[in-house]
Amino acid sequence: MKYALFLGCKIPSRLPAYEASTRAVLAHLGVTLVDLEFTCCGYPARNVSRDGFVVSAARNLALAERAGLDVLTPCTCCLGTLRHAQVLLDEDAPLRSRVAQALAADGLAWSGKAAVEHVLPLLARLIGTNKGATVPAAAVSVPRTGLRVAAQYGCHALRPANVARFDNPMAPTIFETLIRATGATPVDWPRRLDCCGDPLHEGNPPLAEHMTRAKIADALASGAEVLCTACPHCHLRFDAVQSGAPDPSLRTLLYTQLLGQAMGLPAKSLGL
Amino acid sequence: MSRTLFHMALYAALALGALGLLWRMAAWFRVRIGPDARAVTPAERVGALFRGAASALFSRRLLHVVAALFLDVLLQRRLYANDKLRWLGHLLMFFGFMLLLLLHALAPVVTVPLFPGYESTLAPWLFLRNLCGAMVLIGIALFLYGVWRRRTRFAPVRGPMAAAFIALLGFVLMTGFLLEADKIASPQAFHRMAQENGVTDPAELEPLRALWAAEYGVAFSDLRQPLTPELLEKGRAVHAEGCESCHARPQSAFVSYPIARALASVAGALDAARADVWLLYLHVFACFVGLATLPFTRFYHAVAAPVSLLVDAAAPKREFSAAARASRRALALDACVRCGLCDTDCSVAPLARHLGNPTLLPSHKLIATGALAGGSLLASGHEDDALRAAEGAFLCTDCGRCTSACPVGLDLEDLWEAGRGDLAAANLPAPAQWVRARTASAWAELLRQGQSAHVLSDPDAALAPLSADRNSFSRCVQCQTCTNVCPVVAHSTDPGCGVDLTPQKVMNLLRLGMRDFTLGSRMVWDCATCYQCQENCPEGIRVADIMVELRALAVHRLGAVRNWKAPS
Repeated sequence: MKYALFLGCKIPSRLPAYEASTRAVLAHLGVTLVDLEFTCCGYPARNVSRDGFVVSAARNLALAERAGLDVLTPCTCCLGTLRHAQVLLDEDAPLRSRVAQALAADGLAWSGKAAVEHVLPLLARLIGTNKGATVPAAAVSVPRTGLRVAAQYGCHALRPANVARFDNPMAPTIFETLIRATGATPVDWPRRLDCCGDPLHEGNPPLAEHMTRAKIADALASGAEVLCTACPHCHLRFDAVQSGAPDPSLRTLLYTQLLGQAMGLPAKSLGL
Repeated sequence: MSRTLFHMALYAALALGALGLLWRMAAWFRVRIGPDARAVTPAERVGALFRGAASALFSRRLLHVVAALFLDVLLQRRLYANDKLRWLGHLLMFFGFMLLLLLHALAPVVTVPLFPGYESTLAPWLFLRNLCGAMVLIGIALFLYGVWRRRTRFAPVRGPMAAAFIALLGFVLMTGFLLEADKIASPQAFHRMAQENGVTDPAELEPLRALWAAEYGVAFSDLRQPLTPELLEKGRAVHAEGCESCHARPQSAFVSYPIARALASVAGALDAARADVWLLYLHVFACFVGLATLPFTRFYHAVAAPVSLLVDAAAPKREFSAAARASRRALALDACVRCGLCDTDCSVAPLARHLGNPTLLPSHKLIATGALAGGSLLASGHEDDALRAAEGAFLCTDCGRCTSACPVGLDLEDLWEAGRGDLAAANLPAPAQWVRARTASAWAELLRQGQSAHVLSDPDAALAPLSADRNSFSRCVQCQTCTNVCPVVAHSTDPGCGVDLTPQKVMNLLRLGMRDFTLGSRMVWDCATCYQCQENCPEGIRVADIMVELRALAVHRLGAVRNWKAPS
């Protein structure tokens, strides 16, 4: 199994542990990752130029297409943006031809052949939890028994569901199932589907902080020890808000790290 | 060449170069980039330099500095990692040039004391000089090839002084080779030397001339006798006595010798024109011009870039005081060589091309950051440049690739952050910030006043097709589901977080044809794009998508009527 790994902008510079743990876990499960010369997914461009956003995204999709690979990303925002661009390219013919023109300047073309996948559904398929398993997966050698974990889904993986095509947007289960597969116990917390606040940190910092703190408080009140993430934006956001006075009873952990630990992979390879 | 003239020119060039260097280096302590840099004085910055240098010199950090000197400065490790061809070109130019400088230009103070019996016309110096010169020329060729190969729509800004530097370097090399070739081929030079060594008797002179014509490349036009082996043998005896100790066969000068052969037919004419004299003047004075203008040509990077690398090695990253950070940023402006490797790796390069705005790219952004710090970006007449610089600065995703790609190891992320602070201070913050300067209705009023100017270039169709199409929102029944699920609305009961409208009201304004009233709305700009509204809308209205499109439209339309230069 082979994918073009799309890390996005945040992971290499701000959250290298996510790259390390993703590579470690997927290598362990026999997935080959290829590095292409990807650029920004286009998410930040949405606020200035619709075409600019789609051109940015389409360039990456076209690169993967040229390499004959599907795209795998550990970032839910990149997932949402790339899939959003695919939908727009599918439904808007004039946009498609403008984008084709822009890509042609680089000798690239988009036809929609390269699919975009997030790490979580791929892991669910690989360790067999998509078949409704409720016991630790076969790949797990060191079950994280008793660890109470709150799943942070990340908005752009779930919504809009017709674009993200990730899980049921109102009652998703994939993350909890994946947590159960590591032997840990998923925590039911009322704010699990809420926004982490990250998109507002530039425009309205007090509001953003309010949203993040509400989530952290809710996870704590629900008895979670670990806030488990699958998106660099959510993860960095929780860490940033907690950086001043972190609550020792709640720590953030990437899902790839949690799974890596359960697989018995060395902590260093997981960026821990 | 007259020694007095030579020395006068040398000292004048040295003095000019030194004054220029002082002036340029003073900027490292004077130029202020970033709001935190405003809080420190130049004196504090000089103090921070001395403290930093002292603590590095007398601690184990010294090992890092020495390692950086060899690996980063001399061997260019970072360039090797990013572009091997350019690394090869740079290494050839650097070592060729440095060896020529030390062994050839500074021969009286370096080579002569180090190598007793040194003569510039002996082996291996003839060969070495040509080797070094050829290295520089090949380096220049590789450099120019690299520039051509990596040409993009937005090439890094290379000032006229960058071309001047390469041209001057090439000129010095070419005049050097020509001068050497001329001297090899010159009968006049031969006769002057023969006379000085007392070889005047035709019985000795003719065989020597024959030998030098046959084996040393002198282009005599008046050889009377055929070059028989006996004659050459006689010449060799004379040569062994008076010439051999200072002259090796020039064939090892593998560039100059072929040039000398090519010049053979015109050697007499060159002698008549005193080519040896003016070529020497051109060669030496071009070097002096290079020395005097060093602080103002691309050559200056040879000073600033190593300083930047060593300063970085002296202190672990990001552990700089505010004063040291301020100096480091100013130094970065000088240490950047405009190689453009950062641009090649830039995450938003496709967006830069799409928007036609090169200031998204690091090499251009660095210049804009410097222009902002120097004040020229805010001068009247540069309004468009300033707006484009701000657009570029705030579309940067902070991916850090430019910093990793930089062969000089500049901490560009720190520079960008400081630059954004300066932009915000100049009333050019991110759109999400400047849009807050007015209420939604004040923006709408401003748009109404300036409306005629925007009718012709309304970009709605491309920027906000959903809000321009009634079908996308007219099904809204004002049920308030969107508002009820909106986390922004929920959290805005808190003081300081309030939004003016709700998503449902934004939809209603669109239905009423009052789109201009939504553009500056807090709700539109504080939308977290969590898509709860869109997911939950019973009518399937793409509420969040509409919000995001309205922001793009607002950047364009409100940006056109926003008078950022007027005090608000």
